Amino acid sequence: MAEIKLSNLTKRWGDFVGVDNQSLHINDREFLVLLGPSGCGKTTTMRMIAGLEDPTSGEIWIGDRMVNDDLPKDRDVAMVFQNYGLYPHMTIFDNIAYPLRVRGTPKADIKPRVEKAAEQVELTEFLHRKPKALSGGQRQRVALARAIVRTPKVFLMDEPLSNLDAKLRVTMRAELKHLSRALQITTVYVTHDQIEAMTLADRVAVMKNGIIQQLGTPDEIYNDPANLFVAGFIGSPAMNLINGSISGGMFVTTGGTRLVPVKALDRAKAVLGVRADDMDVHEEGQGDIDVKIYAFENTGESTLLTVQWGAQRVIARGDRHLRKDQDDVVGISLNQDHLYLFDPETENRIRM
Amino acid sequence: MTGRQKKQIFGAIQTALILIAMFVMLVPIVWIFLAAFKSHVDVYQLKLFFTPTLENFAVVFDDPYRLGEKLLNSTIVAFVTIVFAIPIATLAAYSFSRFTMKGETMMLVTILATQFVPAVVIILPFFVMFRDVGLLDTRLGLILVNLAIVMPFAIWMIKGFIDGIPMDTEEAAMVDGSSRLQVIRNIVLPMAAPGLLTSAIFCFIIAWNEFLFALILTNKNAVTLPIGLALFKGEEGDLWNLLSAAGIIIMAPMFVLALMIRKYFVQGMTMGAVR
Amino acid sequence: MRDNTLKYLLVLPAVIVVFATAIWPLIEAARLSFTVGRLNRPGSLERYLGWENYVWAILEEPAFWNSVWVTTIYTLLTVGLTTVFALGLAMLLAPGGRLRSAAQTLLILPFAMSPALIGVSFRFMFNPEFGLFDAFFGVMIPPLADVSWLADPKLAFAVVVMADVWGWIPFLTLVLIGGLASVPRDTVEAAQVDGASGWRVFKDVTLPQLAPVLAVVVILKSIFSLKTFDQVFMLTNGGPGTATQTLSHYIYFNGMKYGQIGYSASVAWLMVIPMIFLTYAYAKFVFRKADQ
Repeated sequence: MAEIKLSNLTKRWGDFVGVDNQSLHINDREFLVLLGPSGCGKTTTMRMIAGLEDPTSGEIWIGDRMVNDDLPKDRDVAMVFQNYGLYPHMTIFDNIAYPLRVRGTPKADIKPRVEKAAEQVELTEFLHRKPKALSGGQRQRVALARAIVRTPKVFLMDEPLSNLDAKLRVTMRAELKHLSRALQITTVYVTHDQIEAMTLADRVAVMKNGIIQQLGTPDEIYNDPANLFVAGFIGSPAMNLINGSISGGMFVTTGGTRLVPVKALDRAKAVLGVRADDMDVHEEGQGDIDVKIYAFENTGESTLLTVQWGAQRVIARGDRHLRKDQDDVVGISLNQDHLYLFDPETENRIRM
Repeated sequence: MTGRQKKQIFGAIQTALILIAMFVMLVPIVWIFLAAFKSHVDVYQLKLFFTPTLENFAVVFDDPYRLGEKLLNSTIVAFVTIVFAIPIATLAAYSFSRFTMKGETMMLVTILATQFVPAVVIILPFFVMFRDVGLLDTRLGLILVNLAIVMPFAIWMIKGFIDGIPMDTEEAAMVDGSSRLQVIRNIVLPMAAPGLLTSAIFCFIIAWNEFLFALILTNKNAVTLPIGLALFKGEEGDLWNLLSAAGIIIMAPMFVLALMIRKYFVQGMTMGAVR
Repeated sequence: MRDNTLKYLLVLPAVIVVFATAIWPLIEAARLSFTVGRLNRPGSLERYLGWENYVWAILEEPAFWNSVWVTTIYTLLTVGLTTVFALGLAMLLAPGGRLRSAAQTLLILPFAMSPALIGVSFRFMFNPEFGLFDAFFGVMIPPLADVSWLADPKLAFAVVVMADVWGWIPFLTLVLIGGLASVPRDTVEAAQVDGASGWRVFKDVTLPQLAPVLAVVVILKSIFSLKTFDQVFMLTNGGPGTATQTLSHYIYFNGMKYGQIGYSASVAWLMVIPMIFLTYAYAKFVFRKADQ
């Protein structure tokens, strides 16, 4: 068990900057998720922690040891890979036993530990099979068992659920959460899936272009995004971002509509962020503004209205019993407690 | 004509063309097979039906031809060549596949290029050197030069197989506690084993069929099978029945080996330019 | 051990072997090409001669130019014929099915044959008295009924080309079948739905996508054609006269039969030059593939 400290970590390949001078402190027993689009540096960061990639500069600490110069095998970490990285020529038992064997664990200890790990991930009956004979979900479990068979200082998980189908992913996510609570081991988890991040993480680090955009609890990054990128990346549908200006305490859209009062100083350019859930749909004339429906979608649990808002399109969530059609006009009102203002130049949040 | 009839006729033409092509491809081989079982009288006539005999095979192994010695030479030379080539090529292929090195592209291109150097160019200096150090007409000398033609194929082919092994698996093993050498031994070698065997067979065929080096470097003790063919040129011309029997002894084992690795033949010959 | 050291250690044995078996002989051959280099004259392998061997080959030796000519025509013919036949056969066999996959399997056989043996077998097939192909051509094309194939310069050349084409069609076909398989089916189907005829589909959709593989095939075959030795040696031994004497054979003959190592080394180096261009072109394709 250990905390992880990254200080001024940089990874460059020639001119390409993978991770740009980032510092991050991961607490003991914390479940930290690195979240971001592909190529944002999240996997590189994890691979540097594992020792699979050498940092260009900066330091990596695991516990009270600087591990920059340690080989992966000496870092006492366990890792679950995106494609699981199972050893196809070994049985499931041997796969799970491999980290123990290669570390010289006494033979007598290996069997009970492998069996216990297999039991934790419900694989007991498959131990004599080869990975090829297993389904995707089962292979995923083997990879997990191989990680938990010993007690490493740190778990590293690189998009472990991304190769599973949607249904299985939900099941495995819950299992993973259950397991991590039970094991209480510092975990770094890489994903591009915000639902995984929101549900699993103690804290989330949202990354883009090699830079951590925001570090916070799932609650914080959802309800208090630090900048335009985080606001646009987190949430489904994505937060609506409306271009305009602030004048006289009102947000004015580019089209000239004085939309809502905001608590901010006047400025020529501003972006108003509002989530689909923070908009109410009314009959024509009863909201803050009347808009024409561009597309009406019924998802079952709610309805999504894409509306034409001047030059922009905005998505609002409506009641699941709402029934409208394309080109109908509806009134929209914004929940003024949940509006976000951003500076389009710096992309940073304008705090109200 | 209906579309269906058109299709049927077109299909029939295609089938006919395929059969003709196969016929042309197989006839010279079949003809040799037949000739090998013909008596020395029958072979000098265009005969399809004859009384088969195994006599030719007995003759070629007997004095003065002693094809057995050539068979032994060919086997030893080809086998020892791959015994050296495959392990050396495997280590290099692993490194080329998994690491980036200074001058890596240059090394790979050079290795590729050596395969394209005409064998006559390579053999001239070797002939001179072997003459000086007494390696002419020895199996060892032949093995050394055979490495020249086999190594590039082996490196490129094995690199192709190792490229196909997912990186994840190796990295998992490293995080699990293996050193790089343990990874190679415990993970890469078992996973690449079928590929290594395929490459070994491929190189064996190349070495077995090698002609020019053996022609120049051997004359009596280390003569291999392809050179042995020249023995069957009698005063009265070619002894076709014996040539054919010897031909079968050269071809048949290679046919079996080639069929075993047929899926990878193209990949091997093109050195990864076509997969 | 750190990977940074290990990675070089791993390639070291291979680099040594490749250097010793391929690079050193090339350099040594270059050195020899500037010497008198007569096998039967002691010390002449060290006697420096300057460019004289090269000058001699280029300016004074019709036999050298003859072999250049033979090799060039031979290469053009074999590359062209093999590629065209192989492409046709590949198109025929690519769809799969029982007959076609059986045919594909059989294609491996000629290629596993030693080229020397191919030479022998074609000498057999074209024997004027009891050769099967000789008889066949005699029936099909009456003027060829009673010719002695390997005694006539033009016909001998034709036989050598035929033997080469026969030996290489299978390999090229297999490569092209692989190439055809990598042409996405939906592009072909899209063209068919769009109303293109079979020929148009081939010309507009298949062929352009096959072009890189075709290029690889042509380059590779050119290299092997330029190097041809084994079949020629077994089939005609360069004859009649020098009608089928390829460069490789010319080098072999001068070096080994006449003992003119220095001279043949210089011709060998002249032969390496086109190889460098072809190898460069080939390497481009290999690495283009690897980058994807």
